[in-house]
Amino acid sequence: MKLGLVIDLDTCVGCHACATACKQWNGASAISGPLSDYDPYGDDPSGVWFNRIRHYEVGAYPESKTVNVPMSCLHCEDAACVTVCPTGASYKREDGIVLVDQERCMGCNLCAWACPYGARELDAASGTMKKCTLCADRVHDERLPPEDRQPACVLACPTHARHYGDLDDPQSHVSVLVAERGGFGLLESLGYRPVNRYLPPRQPRPVVDDGPASRASAAEPASALGRLAALARAALGR
Amino acid sequence: MRPALSVVAFTLLSGAGLGALVLVAFADLAGRAGLGAPIAPAVLARTGAVALALTAAGFASSSLHLANPRNAWRSLARWRTSWLSREALCAIAFVPGAALYVAMLFDDAVAAARVPLALAVVALAWLTLYCTSMIYASLKPIRQWHTRHVPAAYLLLGHASGGVLFAGTLAAYGDVPPAWTLGAALLLLAAAFVKLDYYAYLASDAKRLTLEEAIGVPHGVAPAPRRPPPPGSVMRARLLDAGHSRGTFLTHEFGYAVSPRARTLLRAMFWVGGLLVPALWLAFGVREWAGGVAALAACLAGLGAERWLFFAEARHTVRLYHGEPTT
Repeated sequence: MKLGLVIDLDTCVGCHACATACKQWNGASAISGPLSDYDPYGDDPSGVWFNRIRHYEVGAYPESKTVNVPMSCLHCEDAACVTVCPTGASYKREDGIVLVDQERCMGCNLCAWACPYGARELDAASGTMKKCTLCADRVHDERLPPEDRQPACVLACPTHARHYGDLDDPQSHVSVLVAERGGFGLLESLGYRPVNRYLPPRQPRPVVDDGPASRASAAEPASALGRLAALARAALGR
Repeated sequence: MRPALSVVAFTLLSGAGLGALVLVAFADLAGRAGLGAPIAPAVLARTGAVALALTAAGFASSSLHLANPRNAWRSLARWRTSWLSREALCAIAFVPGAALYVAMLFDDAVAAARVPLALAVVALAWLTLYCTSMIYASLKPIRQWHTRHVPAAYLLLGHASGGVLFAGTLAAYGDVPPAWTLGAALLLLAAAFVKLDYYAYLASDAKRLTLEEAIGVPHGVAPAPRRPPPPGSVMRARLLDAGHSRGTFLTHEFGYAVSPRARTLLRAMFWVGGLLVPALWLAFGVREWAGGVAALAACLAGLGAERWLFFAEARHTVRLYHGEPTT
């Protein structure tokens, strides 16, 4: 089992709803909550987040595109953060979720250094490392209706840019999306085999331009009366 | 990477201390094997005691960077995969072994029993140095660390600074045998060669990653060009917004940048203070023990600059996501 997320860079509008929903759910979670904030109402607010969204311009204007890239733990198959952890606090579960045991972590930061994606953040208040849990406390919770057994970020996304499922199962909704849309992993050259996939933006269809003639046919009558007559004709549907 | 002073002090002090203890053990073994003029065990014992104190101070300093030190005892758990765990195990085995060895040097009565212990001290010191260096060299997201230069330089610089400490203590209690002067100088020279090659590696493009690779431009995260792009042109990306208005753990931990001016200054400090001054003392003033103290101070200051730069110049891939074009 390889539970993970598929994130559609075509439909993501960069609204940060996934990040705030994550903060809300996991801040109250028993797995690694609270997600401490430092100086939240002051001049220098900061705090622990499991999910961060960054915004890029790709290409040079006018042939450019804005791409919003949400990033959380990619739940790598070969998770270097687990390999380097000296205490055994970091571990990977049978279902593929990478977690930190808050009771064992000594706060050495080595796992954060080993993660190329910046998925782990040290909570200065508890002195322990925190990270995305893939909402492990809700995705398997049978007290919830089946449609709610998904990570908070997925449920919150207003554009359905986030999908959750088992990427080990080729028939799953997420695996089909990856196959159809050419999903890819981030920095795969480093060899950590990240499970989360990103779907590249769809290429827009070129706008058809029939030339000056078609544009001239829509030319407006010169006089005000003529424009009124044209409006009336259009309103009467003739 | 943000240079944490506790880790800089740890690698600097334990590097020099472990290097010096290796040389003490070698000098002891050479004396017992009849190679060259034997050095009095009392002199070796004093050198060993200073080196052990430096090593222990370094190990103690390493725990200062832990955010949750009450769980430090758990760090021995994952020695099968974690270099940090292996280092902790080696260090814990090393300190009592080396302490016993130094105590046996002070009391020369049981000379024969010292040989296996001397060999164990050498082996454990090497293992500890290697494990420490591999903590850094095993991290693929940091190209400035993920190279064989890192263990080579760390081992050689530890032995080189240990050699200056060793020669300085010998000079304080008598003459430094020419073979040991030459050995210490050769260690400095070898370290200089490795660091020259390391800095050439940093300046090259080897293992360098780009912002475009990091966000997936090669996988189609790019607009379709309306005109064919000119041959050889590269699709570029830039950060519009990092998504936060103030610093985060990530910008604090990975965003540290050293100014070119400070880098030049610190590298000069390393070459001159760390290597040249001790080499000059070994070549021309090795009879002056006061000069040896100055040479050791210059060496440790220069190597401190080198250790500080080792962190400050390391550029983690997280920086790409925060808008830097390359690592």
